[in-house]
Amino acid sequence: MTGSTIDHLVSLMVFLGAILLFMGLFNQTIQTAILYQRHRALATKCSDLLDNMLLNPGVPLDWGKSNCTPTGFGLQDPEFTQYRLSPFSLMRLMSSTGSPVYYPKTGLTYSNITMGFGNFLLVPYTKAINYSTAARLLGTNGTYGFQLTITPIVTVSISETQPKNPLKISVQVAGKGFPLSNAVVSYCFLTVSLTGGEGAYPAYTIKYGNTTTDAKGSVLLEFAEVKDDKVCYAFIAYAHLSGLMGVGYHERVTSDKQYIVPFIDDLALRRVLIAHSYDVHYFEPPNAALSYNATFVLLTEDFTLREMPMENSTGKTGRVNYGVGWPYGVVTIPTYNPGILVITYRKSAVEGGIILMPWGISSMAFPISFGGDPIGKEWVATDIRQVLVNSIAYQAKLALWSLQGYQVIG
Amino acid sequence: MMRTIEVFLVILIITAAFILSSFFAVLPQPRQVSPLNLRRLALTTLQTLDVNYDLSGTAFKSPNDPAWGQLQIALSACLPPNLVYNLTVYEVLSGGTQLYTPIHSISNAASLGVSSDASSYLVASSNVTFSVTPEKIGERGGGGTLYILNCSDANGWWITGYTGQSLAGDLYKLLSPYFKTTIMLQNTTQLAKILNGTSIQGETLRNATVINTVGEAVPIPSGYYASSGVGYDATHSSYARYCYVLGQKVRQYNWTWVSIVGYPVYYVSNTGLFPNEQNTWGIYGMRLVGAAGLNAFLQGIDNQAYSYNTNWITGEPGVVYLSSEALYYCNYYGIYPSPYQTSTRALPDSILTTYHLTATSYIFNPVNHWIAGAVYKNRVSGLFLALGLTRTPDIRLTGLGLLCAFKPRLYRSEYTASGTSRLVILQLGQVGGV
Repeated sequence: MTGSTIDHLVSLMVFLGAILLFMGLFNQTIQTAILYQRHRALATKCSDLLDNMLLNPGVPLDWGKSNCTPTGFGLQDPEFTQYRLSPFSLMRLMSSTGSPVYYPKTGLTYSNITMGFGNFLLVPYTKAINYSTAARLLGTNGTYGFQLTITPIVTVSISETQPKNPLKISVQVAGKGFPLSNAVVSYCFLTVSLTGGEGAYPAYTIKYGNTTTDAKGSVLLEFAEVKDDKVCYAFIAYAHLSGLMGVGYHERVTSDKQYIVPFIDDLALRRVLIAHSYDVHYFEPPNAALSYNATFVLLTEDFTLREMPMENSTGKTGRVNYGVGWPYGVVTIPTYNPGILVITYRKSAVEGGIILMPWGISSMAFPISFGGDPIGKEWVATDIRQVLVNSIAYQAKLALWSLQGYQVIG
Repeated sequence: MMRTIEVFLVILIITAAFILSSFFAVLPQPRQVSPLNLRRLALTTLQTLDVNYDLSGTAFKSPNDPAWGQLQIALSACLPPNLVYNLTVYEVLSGGTQLYTPIHSISNAASLGVSSDASSYLVASSNVTFSVTPEKIGERGGGGTLYILNCSDANGWWITGYTGQSLAGDLYKLLSPYFKTTIMLQNTTQLAKILNGTSIQGETLRNATVINTVGEAVPIPSGYYASSGVGYDATHSSYARYCYVLGQKVRQYNWTWVSIVGYPVYYVSNTGLFPNEQNTWGIYGMRLVGAAGLNAFLQGIDNQAYSYNTNWITGEPGVVYLSSEALYYCNYYGIYPSPYQTSTRALPDSILTTYHLTATSYIFNPVNHWIAGAVYKNRVSGLFLALGLTRTPDIRLTGLGLLCAFKPRLYRSEYTASGTSRLVILQLGQVGGV
C-alpha cells in the first residue's frame, strides 16, 4: 500500500514537473512564432507606410509652398504622379540630424540641414513639420516609430586640386558604389570680385560649361582666369546619365569667420532673411559689416544652369552687421521653381566669400533625415524606393519599429 | 513503480513531440521575416531611369548601341551593392500565340541569389503618337448641340483683355470635339432665332448648351425680345424681363446656360439697340440691368411669376479651391487651370431651395454658404452653370465645368500596337547577408 502511494506521489510529481517544463518549452516556440508574425506584419506596414508617404501629396496639396500645418501628411509633388516628391515639402521637414540654430534677432530656432560651410538650409521651427505632427497625421502616433531618410543616389564630389594658375577642380561622379562613366556634367562657375570702395557691393561673374566624365567617373576642369588663390568662387555641377541626375558644389572663401547666414523666413512669400554670422555664433568685435549681392540660378530643361534675374526690389543687395541697430536683410526669391540662391558677400577689398542656399531641397541634392532614432529598438523593418525630386534621383528609406513592446517573455 | 515508468514514457513521448515540432518549426532568416520589397524597388528604379525618357529611348535602340552600356552603368549606380539585377526588354507582338519576344538583356550576375522579384514597365517608341477620341455629348440621351454666343453686335464686360469673339474662338477649340454640333451664333438675330425655337442649320435645339461669352453682359436681340412686356419692364425701366424670358427658354428647351465670369446677366448688350447708352462704366452699346437680371433669370428657370427684385444675392468668399471631382476631371481631360481662384460673385446656397435647383456638380468647394462654381439643375427642366469668379475669365474652367457636368468618355488608341511598345522587366535579387 505504502509503495503504491509513493509510486503515485513520485509519478505525479514527475508528471507535473514535466508538464510545466514542456509548457514553458512549447510556450517559447509559440511566442517566437507570434513574434515572427509581428515582425512580418511590421515589414508589411513599413512598405505600406512608405508608399503612403511617397504617393500622396498631403492636404492641402501645396502645403510645401505655404506656411500652414498640413492636415494630411504626404510628400508627393502635387504636379506629378508616381514617386515624384515635392522639393518644398521635403524642405519643411524638421531635420533629425542637424543641430538646431537659434537666431536672436527673430527669436526663433531653425531646423538645420546645413551641408558644411557655405551651404545652408535653415527653416524656422514654426514653419517646419515635426516628427510628432507627422506621426499623428499618419496615424502611427503611439503605435509605430519611424525614421525617413531621403538621400541622393548620385554623389558629385568636387575638390580643388590646384588653387591658381590655373585653378584645377576635380569632379567625381558616382552612384551607390559605382562610378558614373560618360556622365554629362553641366557646371556653373561663379567668381566674386571684391573690388570697389568701402561698403561696395561684391560683384560676380558667372561662367557656364559642359563636360563628360571619363571611365572612372571623374573629370578635371581648369580655369585659367583664376590667377590668385584669394579669389572667392563657387562651383556648382549637375551630372546626368540615363535618367540619373546628381548635384555637387564647392566654394572657396577668404572670410570664413564673418559671413552671411540665410534663414528662410516665409515659404509662401518666398522670403529669406540675410543674417550676419556673428549674430548666430556670438563672436566678439571688431565690428565687421558685410555687404552682399544675391542672385538666383536654376537648372533648365536642357540640363544647363541659368541665372534668373532678380529685381532690385527683391532686396538683392544690402548690408548687414551684428548687434543692436543692425537689422537683417531680406531677399525675395523670384520663383517657385527650385534653384539655388547664391549670395556673394564682401567684408573688405581682400576678404569676402560666397554662400549657397537651395530653394527646394533637390537643387543642391541635400539629404534629409526625419523622424525618430531607430538605434536600440528591438526590431526595425526597413524598405526603400527610388524617387525623383525635381528630376534629381534620390533613394527614400523608411525604418519602422513598434512602440508597443512585444518582447519575448520567458 | 509502474506509474513512474508510465510517466517517464509520457515524458519521452512529449519530448519526442517537442523535438519533432521544433524540427519543423524552424524560424526563417531575418531576410524572409523582414524582406525588402524588391518589386516596388524594381518599379521605382525603372521609373527613375525613364524620367527623361532615357529608358524608353534605349529600349528601342539596337543591342550594339552604346546607350545600353550607359543604361547598365546607371542601373548599377542606382541600386544598392547587395542587389543583383537582370533587365530584359521584350518586343510586344500583336496576334499569334506568342505575345512577347526578348530583344536584349543586361545583367550583373549569373544568378539572382536566394530571393528575387521583378517588375514590368511598358515603354513606347518616340515615333508613336497616341490619339484620343472623345465621346460626343448627346450620343447618349439626345441633345449634343453647343451654341457659343459670338455676337458681333454685343460688347462684353468683365472679360478684360479679351473680346467675346476671342473667347468664343477658344471655347470652340476646347469644347467642339465633345459635342455633336457646335454653332457660333454670329449676331443677336441668330440668338433670337434659337430663342424662337428655330434651328440655325438643322441641329437639335432641345438639350443644347449655350455659352455666353460676353461676361457679365448678355446679348439681347432687338425687336420682339426687347419690346415692352416681353423683354422690357416699362414699369421699372429695366431689361430684367429679358433675363426672365431667357430663364423661361432655358426651362422650355432644357438648355444648359453658361455664365463664364462674374455676376450673371448683369447687363444687356446690343450695339444697335443701345448706340448711345453705356453700362455706367463707359462701355457703349450696353445697358445696366443690375441684380434684378439674375433674380429674374432664376425665376424664369423655375417658372415662377416675374417680379422685379433688385436684391444683390452674390457674396465674396475669396480664395476658392477646385473640388475633388473637378481635380479628377482635370487629369482625365487634360485641362489644368489653377486649382485656386478668387471668387467675388459666388451664388448663395439659398437659391437651391428658392428656385428648386440641385447642384449636380461642384466645380469649386463651397465656402460657408457660398458656391463659387457649380452646375445647377432645376427639378423640372433647365440647367445653369455659373462661375462667380472675379475677372479675368479662364475659359478652361468653363470647359472643365461642362465636362464635369456631362462627363463624356475618352476613347484612347490601342497602346500595345505592334512595334510601338516594348516591355521592360527588371528582376532584382539579394545576395549576401542573412
